Formats: sequence, structure tokens, C-alpha cells
Amino acid sequence: MRANETLFGGIVVALFVFIALFAPLLAPYDPHALVGKPVESPSAAHPLGTNDLGQDILSELIFGARISLIVALTASALTVALGLLIGGIAGYAGGWVDVAWMRSVDVLLTLPRLPLLILLAALLGAGLPQTIAIIALLFWPHTARVMRAQTQSLRQRGYVRMAQQFGGSTAYVLTRHIVPALAPLIAFEWVMAASRAVALEAGLAFLGIGDATAKSWGLMMRFALNFKGLLLGDRWLWWLMPPALALTLLMLALTFIGIGLEKRWQPRLTRHA
Amino acid sequence: MATPSDTTRLSVRDLRVHFPTASSIVRAVDGISFEVRAGETFAIVGETGSGKTTTARAILGLHPRGTVQGSIRFGDRELTELSEDEWRALRGRHLALAAQGVGTAFDPVYRIGEQIAELLREHLSLTSAEIRARVQALAQQVGLEARHLVAYPHQLSGGEKQRAMLAMALACDPDVLIVDEPTSGQDVCARAEIVALLRQLRAERGMSLILISHDLAAVAQLADRVAVLYAGKLIEVGETRAILESPRHPYTWGLLNAYPNMTTTRDLRGIRGELPDPAHPPSGCRFHPRCTQVVEQCRLVEPPLVETNGRWIACHLGGLQTLLRARDLRKTFSLNGADAPTIEAVRGASIEVYEGEVVALIGETGSGKSTLARLIVGLEQRDDGRIELEGEEMTTLRGEALARARRRIQYIAQDPFESLSPRLTIAEIVREPLDIQHIGTPGERDARVRDALAAVSLPTTPEFLSRHIHELSGGQLQRVAIARALVLDPKLLIADEPVSMLDASEQAKLINLLKEIQTMRGMGLLLISHDLALVRKVADRIVVMRRGEIVEEGPASRVITTPRDEYTRALVRAAPVFTAEIGD
Repeated sequence: MRANETLFGGIVVALFVFIALFAPLLAPYDPHALVGKPVESPSAAHPLGTNDLGQDILSELIFGARISLIVALTASALTVALGLLIGGIAGYAGGWVDVAWMRSVDVLLTLPRLPLLILLAALLGAGLPQTIAIIALLFWPHTARVMRAQTQSLRQRGYVRMAQQFGGSTAYVLTRHIVPALAPLIAFEWVMAASRAVALEAGLAFLGIGDATAKSWGLMMRFALNFKGLLLGDRWLWWLMPPALALTLLMLALTFIGIGLEKRWQPRLTRHA
Repeated sequence: MATPSDTTRLSVRDLRVHFPTASSIVRAVDGISFEVRAGETFAIVGETGSGKTTTARAILGLHPRGTVQGSIRFGDRELTELSEDEWRALRGRHLALAAQGVGTAFDPVYRIGEQIAELLREHLSLTSAEIRARVQALAQQVGLEARHLVAYPHQLSGGEKQRAMLAMALACDPDVLIVDEPTSGQDVCARAEIVALLRQLRAERGMSLILISHDLAAVAQLADRVAVLYAGKLIEVGETRAILESPRHPYTWGLLNAYPNMTTTRDLRGIRGELPDPAHPPSGCRFHPRCTQVVEQCRLVEPPLVETNGRWIACHLGGLQTLLRARDLRKTFSLNGADAPTIEAVRGASIEVYEGEVVALIGETGSGKSTLARLIVGLEQRDDGRIELEGEEMTTLRGEALARARRRIQYIAQDPFESLSPRLTIAEIVREPLDIQHIGTPGERDARVRDALAAVSLPTTPEFLSRHIHELSGGQLQRVAIARALVLDPKLLIADEPVSMLDASEQAKLINLLKEIQTMRGMGLLLISHDLALVRKVADRIVVMRRGEIVEEGPASRVITTPRDEYTRALVRAAPVFTAEIGD
């Protein structure tokens, strides 16, 4: 079962990556082009119909995978890098460095998320890089805490103390012992951060504080829900549900990979998400 | 040595005895000086082949084939200038030798009594009746009966022959008696009788006795002063008691450690290496290839025999060095925050380790012994106190000096599974100290890794080198940990309960291995343990720790046989014994 959930997650994510990479070949139309009448029902020409502007929904969905995956990859990488750097150094150095840095992290964690999000979005403006930055800035404190706790425990291990005893520099001990020992946790944190990034990107787009021109799944859902007559008839089925399902499926797949990684490499590590 | 005084009977100055061979010159005795005072027993000790017997025979002019140089003064006569006739008149009469190897000293076809009588006839002008009376008196003195005098040499036991030989040597009432290995080859009872006899004779006759022996027990009982001979050189001379209780020269120290003794439970151990070939003695100090504290000077310059506080030592470093000197170490742990209770783990503990010595630090769990070890290694920061390694205070060291100090002191933890990285291969683990210290080329590092693994009896196949620690047994893991500690060639190894996680058989193997490595490499070893029964097999000294303080320390044999502190007594009592309870 464990192997299966990882396998499932892996296949699904691989599928999304494939779709994102070959979006121009797979999509029947340019997602920005007005290729049909507004709000067309599914047909042979438009398998998922068209939106209120007459854009092909299937093409939007396919190109949307690109946005989601780019955000997932970059925002989570940024999150883990920041978290590893700050948490790792605080955990390894200990003492006042640890106290000072981790208190700041605690403060960041207590700030209410949504107002902060809106504030940041307003300050940084709309656009994909801004979205990625906002996500990383919001998520790194959590990762930092996890990294710090694990580093603190690793720092006390006999073989780490021995490496210091042999005269190993901080850089040596970190690169040779601490980071390799953190690798499974880094992988796990990365996947989980990616899953959360996908959700948050969609959320930002949905709230309209993301990039209004990007063809993301969140934005698709926002436009769908803004359409007055969405719930009259079965339009929601082919307009709202596909991006919602794609989003859910991608997050689910990433979470499954995370669970698999967690179980394989850190059997004693409890869930903390 | 000192200038001959009025009481000096025999004075030997710069004596050299060389035997030319076809290809080289064997320097059996190479410039030794000593004096023997009237009524004194002077012992010359050393390993077989060190030149003891050659010295004795040179004093008696018995080296027809060798060249004898230097001066041997007996009273006011210079013996080296004597003719063979003059020697013969002196020998047996004033200077007598009871030679080693009693089997060959007698003529097999004459009765013992006749052989003694022959000697008297040669040196003294006595009547037959006087001679007969004297022979009987001598026999009585050395504890031989009338029936022994009419026996042939082969009819006597070893002890009886030794007595007969003494009777011969004493026949003409010599001024100086040289006794060469009087107790070797004898059983313990005969040995004790001969020692008692020599004591008695010395007291009765007031003669000077030169005792040539490797039997340190006999030396301890008989000698006033001891000279230690090594490869034809004197390396230490002093009062017997002082030398036996606190040897200063590393060789004397090793020699005493190699000697079996009823008060020691430690396993015997030799001095590493072999006595050098007397035809090709090493440069500089002749002991340097076997010495544990060699400095550059030792290889180049021969150390002179110099006096400090009545003790003569030939060592550039002035004798055995203190490897580690930790003074008044303190460490207090506070538990979570400022208001929480504190634990005084180490409360002013001091400990010393000398060159090549095994010190066992004993104490129950929580006595602070591990913390003390970790303070010395630097795994914990001390609150107070001084730690000197080879005279250098560790905390003042920076940069390259600190790196060098770290190389000289290595640590083995109790749990190898914890102290070895699960992610690295065996080769990577053992090589890590070399990588960190940037020692040698990659090829040299790999060679040193293989050497270290071979030293701890582990395979060095590529297959083994690429394994990870979860593929090894507990005993193998601890061997890997030892190999990693050895790879930097440390001067001091600190092992914290190195065998406590292993089964008894593996414990015995590993502790013997540690001991062997320690002897071969000439390291100091500080062994932390709660197992008195185990460490007493290897420890030279035992230090007992309780509640952060040192409560007792001393030679291992003394601490175990007559513990002074109540806590040590409890530890000794609690040590496991297999004796089944009988009766009651």
C-alpha cells in the first residue's frame, strides 16, 4: 500500500509534468485566443466547451498545469532553501543565534495569514514572480522550525561531535554530515511545500490578487464563479470542476509522495503538517 | 660517575668491550662507568644480551678475544694493565666470580670437595689439614653437607651446584664477589634459599657484591644500588628502592612492567621491539627505536648519564614524560534554564597519564568519569581547570597548533553505532580524520586507512571498505571506531567504556587488542570503565572517581590488593567472582 501510494503520486505528477512540458502540442488552441462563442457547451471542437470570453477551456486547463507546476517547483524550492538556511544555522549554532532567529520565526508564524497575504500582494503587485515570493515568504518559517529541530538533534550525534573533534570546520560538518542527514526531511518538506504552494497559488488567483493575465487553474475557477449563470444548468460541470479536480489531483499526488518519503526515510518522524 | 671515594672498592670508568668479527665489531659493552663501595651490593640488570655478563667477565680479565678499553681500578691497582699471571693471582683470591650456567663450571671428573680444595691450594699456602677444615667450613656456610663434598658434579641438584659454586667463589675470602645470575634456572624455593644465603654471607663477611641478574625480585631483596644496562650502555643508576618504586627511564619502566609479580593481576607485557644488534647499534639514544617519547634529538645525539636528585639517567627528556596533565577540572551542567537545579558532574578532578601508560578511570554510572574524559578530549567545555598535553595548555592553542594537538589525542566512545555515521562507508569513516586534517595524498590516506583497519584485525577488501555500519556486528563497529582513532597516530587514546556493549568473549578480544595496539604504538591509554575485573588485566594505574571527585589513585596492583578508600573497597568487593560458596 505504501509503495502504491508513492507510485500513484509519482505517476500523476509525472503526467502533469508531461502535460505542462508539451502543453503547446497537446492543447487544441491558444488559451488566450477567442476561438468560439462565449459559454459554449462541450462539443467535438471544444471538449470542455468555452468560457465567457469564448476561450477553449481544455486549452486553458492544459496551460494551467504549467503555472501550477512552475509555482510548485520554484516556490517550494525557495521555501525549503530559506527554511534550511535559517533553521539549519539556528539549530547548528545554538545559543543566542538560535534564540534570536527562532523568536523571529515564532513572531512570523503568529501573524494572521490572510491579511498578511493581501498586504504582501498589494505591496509587491501582481505577477508570477511576486506570487512565488509571497508563497515562499509565508511558508519558510514553518520549514525553518522543522529543520532547526532536526539539526539540533543531529548536532548532538556522536559522529558529528567526532567530526568536530577531528578539527572539521562548520562548513565541513554541515555539508558532509548535517545536510546529507537532512536530505530525506528536505525531500519531504519540499514535496509538502510544493503541495501547499499549488493550493496557495490557486487561492491567490482565486482571490484576484495573483497575476490576472496568467492562465492558472485558480483564475479559471474565479472567472467561472464570477459568471452569474454558472450554477444554472450543467455549466459548472465542464467549467468549474475540471480546474478544481486537476488542482485536487495534483495536491493529492504530491501529498502521497510526501507520505511515502516520510515513511521510507524517517520512520520515527511523526506527521507535523 | 662520581669520583671514587675512600670507600670505593672497585671503580669502572668508560669500560668498552668490543669483539671483532669477520664483518664488523660487536660492541657488547660500550663505555660504562660505575663504582662499587665496600660492603655494598651493586646490581646490574638488563635484558639478555644487554652486556651484563660481558661486564662481569671484563672485571675479571676474562676476555682473551675481545678488546677491553677504559679503566678498572681495584683499590689502587689498575687492572687493565695486568699481565695474565698477575690476573691469575688476583682472580679467585680478591675478585671472585660465581659464574652463570652452573652445569659447565665444574670439572666433571673431580669430586666437589676436591675442586674447592684445589682452589685453596693454588691461592693460599695452607696445610692439608687446614684446607680440609676450610672446605668443610665453607660447605657449612653455603649449606652443603659432607656427602655433597664427595659427590661428583652431575650428582648434585641445580641448587646444590649453585651453592658449591658459591663455596668455590668464597674459598679465598674475596674482597669483591661477582655473582652472575645466581637464581636463574632455579625453582622458587631454591631461589629463595640462595637469596637468603647471599644476604647472610654479605652480612658475615662485609664484602662487596656485584649482582648480575635479570631477576628483579632477587635484586630487590639484595641490592643497595641498581644499574640498568641497555645495549652496552648504562641508562639509569640509583638506589634500589627508588628505582623499583619509581623508575624514571622509559626502559626501566618497561622492564619493570615486563616482570611477573604476585601483587600484580595485570597480564604480562613486553617492551615493544627487540634489543638492537650490538654490531650495529642505533644512532643517538640506543633505546630510541623502542621508546614511546622519541624526539628528534634522541635519533641524533647519544644522551649522557646525568644526575638529578641522586638518580643517574641517560635520557634527553630527563626520563619518563607526563603525556597528559589535567588539573582541577570542573564542569557543572544546568538543566533547562537558569532556575533549574544544576549537576556538578566533575568537581575539581585531576588526572595524569605518563608516556606509554595505561590508566584506568573507574567509577560507577554517574560518577562523572565520562564527563571528565569528554572534558579532556574537548567534547565538553570545562568551567575551570587546566589540561596540558605534552606540557602544552590545550585552550591556548589555535589554528595549526590546535589541529596538531587534536591529532595527538583521540577518543573512542562507548556506542560505536552512535559515533559512526550511518551514511558513510567504512573507508570514508576511517579516512575522515585524514580528510579533515588534509594529511597526505588520497593514495596515502587510503593506505593509512588499510593499515589502521589491519591493526584492529579487520578486513581491508574493497567489499568491506564499501560497507555501511548497519552491515557490521557490534565488535566490528567498535574496531572501526578504534581504527578511526588510530589513523591519526595519536599519542593518547581515551576510550570511554569501549567494550561495555559487547559480549564477554568479544570484550576480552577487544581489550587485549587495545592493549596490544597501545604497546606496539607506544601510546598512552586512558581507559574509562566501571568494570574493575576487566581493566585490571591491562591497567598500570587505577584512578577511582566518585561523585565528580578522584577518591583514590595508585598502581593497579596496590589499588586492587589494598584499596585505601572505602568506596574503592566496595568496588573491589562488588567485582564478580566465580567461586562457588561451600559450607555454611
